[in-house]
Amino acid sequence: MTIPQTWVGRSRPSVDAGEIVTGALEYVTDRFPDGVLHGAVLRSAVPHARIDRIDVTAARSLPGVHCVLVADDVPVNALGPREVDGPVLAETCVRQVGEAIALVAADDEDTARRALATIELELAPLPVVDSPTAAAAPDAPQLHPTGNVSGRISFSSGDVEQAIAPAVLVLRRNVTTPSQEHVAIDTPGGVAAVEDGVVTIWCGSQNPGLHQRKVARALEIDIADVRMIANPVGGAFGSRNDDPMPVYLALLARATGRPVRVHMTREETMAAGAKRHPFWTSIAIGFDATGRILGSSVRAVADTGPVITSGPNVMKTSGEMSTGPYRFPVASFDGTVYYTNNANAGAFRGYGVPQVAFAIENAVTEAAHTLGLDPMQMRIDNALRGGEPHSLYRHRVTDSLAVRATLEQAAVHPLWTDRVSWQAQAAWPWRRGTGVATAIKGVGMGSGTGDAARARLEIDGDGHVTIWAGPNHTGQSIQTTYGQVAADVLQIPIEQIDVRVGDTGVVPESGPTAASRSTYAGGNAVRMVCDELVRRCSELELPLQLDPEGTGTKLVELGEATYEQTFVLPDTDDIGLVPPEDLAKYGPHRVYGACTQAVRVELNTLTGELRVPELLCVVDCGTAINPAAMIGQAEGGILQGLGLAIMEEHRLEGGVPVTTSLENYLIPTISDTPVMHVEMVDSTEDSGPFGAKGMSEVVVVPTPPAVAAAVMDAVGVLPQTLPLTPERVLSLLEEA
Amino acid sequence: MRLNGIEIDNVPAELHGMRLLDYLRTERGLTGAKEGCGMGECGSCTVVIDGAAVTSCLVLVGQVLDAEIRTVEGLADAGHGPLQRAFVARQAVQCGYCIPGVLNSCAALLDRVPDPDDEQIRTALDGNLCRCTAYNRFYDAVHDAACERRTDQAGQA
Repeated sequence: MTIPQTWVGRSRPSVDAGEIVTGALEYVTDRFPDGVLHGAVLRSAVPHARIDRIDVTAARSLPGVHCVLVADDVPVNALGPREVDGPVLAETCVRQVGEAIALVAADDEDTARRALATIELELAPLPVVDSPTAAAAPDAPQLHPTGNVSGRISFSSGDVEQAIAPAVLVLRRNVTTPSQEHVAIDTPGGVAAVEDGVVTIWCGSQNPGLHQRKVARALEIDIADVRMIANPVGGAFGSRNDDPMPVYLALLARATGRPVRVHMTREETMAAGAKRHPFWTSIAIGFDATGRILGSSVRAVADTGPVITSGPNVMKTSGEMSTGPYRFPVASFDGTVYYTNNANAGAFRGYGVPQVAFAIENAVTEAAHTLGLDPMQMRIDNALRGGEPHSLYRHRVTDSLAVRATLEQAAVHPLWTDRVSWQAQAAWPWRRGTGVATAIKGVGMGSGTGDAARARLEIDGDGHVTIWAGPNHTGQSIQTTYGQVAADVLQIPIEQIDVRVGDTGVVPESGPTAASRSTYAGGNAVRMVCDELVRRCSELELPLQLDPEGTGTKLVELGEATYEQTFVLPDTDDIGLVPPEDLAKYGPHRVYGACTQAVRVELNTLTGELRVPELLCVVDCGTAINPAAMIGQAEGGILQGLGLAIMEEHRLEGGVPVTTSLENYLIPTISDTPVMHVEMVDSTEDSGPFGAKGMSEVVVVPTPPAVAAAVMDAVGVLPQTLPLTPERVLSLLEEA
Repeated sequence: MRLNGIEIDNVPAELHGMRLLDYLRTERGLTGAKEGCGMGECGSCTVVIDGAAVTSCLVLVGQVLDAEIRTVEGLADAGHGPLQRAFVARQAVQCGYCIPGVLNSCAALLDRVPDPDDEQIRTALDGNLCRCTAYNRFYDAVHDAACERRTDQAGQA
């Protein structure tokens, strides 16, 4: 039976929007419970040093100070099970600027900060490993007992050099993409309190279950005695995967027996928060005369800073996406992640894909130019289609993959078709150009990873349904999406359904808000648990839609009012060349979302200023459950991609951050924002809830290479280094 | 000072040196004003002081003892319900953390210019950073609000 869709496919404001616009929504950093203490963190000002002495005597005796914690005071001083996960508080050495050394809780924030200032610290400087090159040097200081290599992943589907030998064009290029700061407008923070032996932490998290485990480990307490309440929170974008703040809060609350609040400053966040991995990527790629790709070989090097966080996993995603959205017979990838004394890098929307996409998309742009081909048509001809084997792992990709459709739809848009006349209208000193780029990104954690999401449902005697589901929301309004899915499965009014996310006390473990999996995996779990209720009602001949109260009452009487279901991410049907025992290591995806963007740029040949007045984005997201929310995600993702393309770079010199605040790290404002046209293509993912799949990351990916292509169209030189600051644009013009 | 229409006399002298942002959040419980940077760069703490949109992290309480201050919590009473509803209906909010500041910048504009054009909206919002959205729906929401307020006023006339 086809379920008539009443709620899915209609735009619906997020459930908390009403409270947001009145200021009533209480974010985790808005909590000031009675008797709350204020915490602060002592952080390293140097990138690498041995700790010879920490003296907290003066700080502890300062009036108004309730506790001062150093490494020795942390029951298990580890942020994870491995040495490379790093300590909660620095013990023998500091390995980056911003690394936490001590925690203080005091009556007020000023006292806490004064206490930090009285802590005596003797540090002996150590040589600074300030780049992957320095980390790889034979005489480099070793940042971990396991060495300076954080991870390496390589795979080859054949002999690439042999495959590209007959090519009419072989490009060997190096591209560089910078470290990028998330700049979630709410900095990390929240409140923790201990009651009846249970520590409750209100702190933003994209992975409440993981943070619950981290807290339990560090405090050496039972997981059941830790409750993470992970929203509402002011943005995430990856920054709340690796954030140690919940552990700091829990330690301070336990040490003082009082509720403790911490809210990091922007400067602290800029120094200590995880960044997007800076990458150095090289590509060798061959094309025949018609522009067909014959083979490609990509090598990537990433800097993950002093601890592992997401480093190797990011590189795993880079590997899978190193062949872009294209099909060709032979490919290889080799990626290495190094430890350094630079800023720690972790998860960031796109997760390793924008970096390698810049290499392959730039190569395709250059090849089209050199071979005299239309860059859109060349991409259409090379596009990977649904059901085909992936170019690196040769695994089967989902039938719903619609890269080609996104390109074909972009190809007929006026922004693209009018590009010649638009360019001709440029007035000196401005030049104009239009560029295109396309991308895919996997949905979920990949085959063999055991990626699972759960949902629990309860119906009460009033016929009211409550659903506890994950992943958590950090601004995506995922509860609204889950509500829409539930209402359409249950065929009851959406107002009769409450959805709760992000609280480990009540929500079954559902994994992270990551990997573009929330709508797909979480939505599927919601669909399944609702199906279960519908099925049971049908068996018992209970009229859920006609008489929700009677049905609810009866189910409560029968003790059958509660249901729980688990959705497990399906593996790809054919794992191709990936050895079965290594499936999780490579994690090839079954499902991908796709996105093509065409961008107009205007470039001032005197000042190097770059403007992006207008942009087209065509998304393959399967069914858009909440179309306006989907478009909002696309627009926001594009703007982060644009920031990476033209202005954002977290810079360090000798391990010391140069970009330290929003005064010298700029993100796009309303004045930098182009007119955006976001469109969808017709696609349905059979394994997704109502045909939906994830899209919030892939939209970041095409923007930088599309901007680069537009710059080449404008001035004839293809940029290979991001971001395209005016200085870089002027140097490019010198090459032109 | 007058805060959201309520007269507040005798603000204790020891609070005069406090940042207005902290005073609002901790002394008055008005947590709609958010901190995002503490140096006037992000605009999340924007409130309306004597008709102007101002970042409250850069203002001390002692500077505004005679001022008329409006926060996001006072928007509806100041006739900006249409603006709030338009932001909801246009799905112009995501995480929402920047939104109180954005709304105050928009409200200060609408009080001054009842029917602003896009350029005026852009100028009014240039000091408000949003990392989730791409700002585009803010234009639509402000236009909707201006239209509704115009219609309301026409109805009352």
